[in-house]
Amino acid sequence: MEKYECTACGYLYDPGVGDPENGIAPGTAFEDLPEDWVCPQCGVGKEFFQKI
Amino acid sequence: MKIVIIGNGLAGTLAAKALREEDKQAEIEIYAEEKYLYYPRPNLIEFISGSLPHDRLFAFPERWYGQQRIDVRLATPVRRVLPDARQVETTDGQRVAYDALLLANGASSFIPPIRGADKKGVFSLRTLDHALDILERLRDHARAAVIGGGLLGLEVARALKSRGAEVEVVEALPYLLPRQLDPRGGAILKTEMEKRGIRVRVGVATEEILGDDEARGIRFKTGDEIAAETIIIAAGVRPNLKLAQETGLPTDRGVLVNEHLETNKEGIFAAGDGVQYKGLVYGIIPASFEQARTAAANILGHKVKYEGTVPSITLKVVGIHLTSIGQVNPDGREFEELRFERPEEGVYKKVVLKDGAAVGAIWLGTKSGVNGITRAVVQKANIDKWKNELFSETFDFSLL
Ligand SMILES: Cc1cc2nc3c(=O)[nH]c(=O)nc-3n(C[C@H](O)[C@H](O)[C@H](O)COP(=O)(O)OP(=O)(O)OC[C@H]3O[C@@H](n4cnc5c(N)ncnc54)[C@H](O)[C@@H]3O)c2cc1C
Repeated sequence: MEKYECTACGYLYDPGVGDPENGIAPGTAFEDLPEDWVCPQCGVGKEFFQKI
Repeated sequence: MKIVIIGNGLAGTLAAKALREEDKQAEIEIYAEEKYLYYPRPNLIEFISGSLPHDRLFAFPERWYGQQRIDVRLATPVRRVLPDARQVETTDGQRVAYDALLLANGASSFIPPIRGADKKGVFSLRTLDHALDILERLRDHARAAVIGGGLLGLEVARALKSRGAEVEVVEALPYLLPRQLDPRGGAILKTEMEKRGIRVRVGVATEEILGDDEARGIRFKTGDEIAAETIIIAAGVRPNLKLAQETGLPTDRGVLVNEHLETNKEGIFAAGDGVQYKGLVYGIIPASFEQARTAAANILGHKVKYEGTVPSITLKVVGIHLTSIGQVNPDGREFEELRFERPEEGVYKKVVLKDGAAVGAIWLGTKSGVNGITRAVVQKANIDKWKNELFSETFDFSLL
């Protein structure tokens, strides 16, 4: 599964790790994140993320 | 324990979030000057361009603050801190006691002394209110100019263009993104911006904003003039220091803190764009974020050290990839610079080495290898023996 980076702040979304603090289990693909998921580091939405 | 936070920008809000994760009991109150809940400022660019609606600007919905028991008092700025009494005083006269205080009051746009900068139609962009004012003006004044060819200036220019405005960027220094690029990289980027319909002039210092009460153009020191009725000044930011200074906290260009993000007054911490740490005022999200989390940990008594942040930026102009990280314009003989360019494709890459280790890089016009080189700079990886292969599109950075 592909990793995505926040272009606003550099946060890296790694599907292997997920975002457990915000209820996202390890193994969740970026595409399957809920639409209202925001970058845990700065709070921008998914459209700021770029596949790396 | 009662924790008071001044400012509900990124640093204040994410410090509150980190505090709550660690401490379910503490009382957390945020005093905010703005009348809006926390929104990431990069969203303002997409809001101006028209691709992000108003209701999607905010990072957390109102109910989240209730669930987290983070009490935000909007439009209630703090006007005074009384460190001996451990209280803050809001502009409406309330006094609020604290056990620990976090200054997260950030920075404001810097407006250089340009004649006419107070005319109608001249703006800066830091807050949602600024963005709303700009959009209002743009409706019937679609000829725009941006003073300042830094990151914010270029992103605003692109957003105005997406809204249908005619845009020209004017930069006083001889090339774009003077902090993140070098002259050659700046020249290649200028061509790329122009290909996207944004006019760019470099090496032109603004002397005056023309017009009676309303802006109608810019005159440069050279005597040249351009026409524009909507003018955005994007000339950098300055920390909001007044509150700290009046509290007797030591300041220089920012509020001075130690490696625990504590000021010289016990119980008063600071984080974000207003802070100066080891001589640096970062002014970027990753630094504000790390400082906010570290300050939160220290407020709760865990002695956690802030290690500094390696500055890294990505330009968000559709179709142009640019990452600049670390020291890109080094000064001194101990540095070595490696370059690669393909101007017709808009590609420019540069790596700066110190004693064989990567300490800075520019990656313009290509995405491949950008994560590898970023990691190499963050880790100061030794790249001495890869000098010849490094710029190949297929170089395997995992070798480093
Ligand atoms: C349009 C735009 C785009 C950006 N894009 C990027 C990007 O892509 N990447 C990046 O890394 N950085 C970016 N930045 C910079 C980034 O937004 C800042 O680093 C970040 O906002 C810093 O957060 P902060 O909380 O320290 O300060 P601020 O965001 O300045 O927030 C401080 C808050 O405190 C409030 N305040 C001030 N005084 C008082 C008082 N006395 N009482 C109560 N409240 C007070 C202010 O009103 C403000 O709301 C951008 C900035 C802008 C304007």
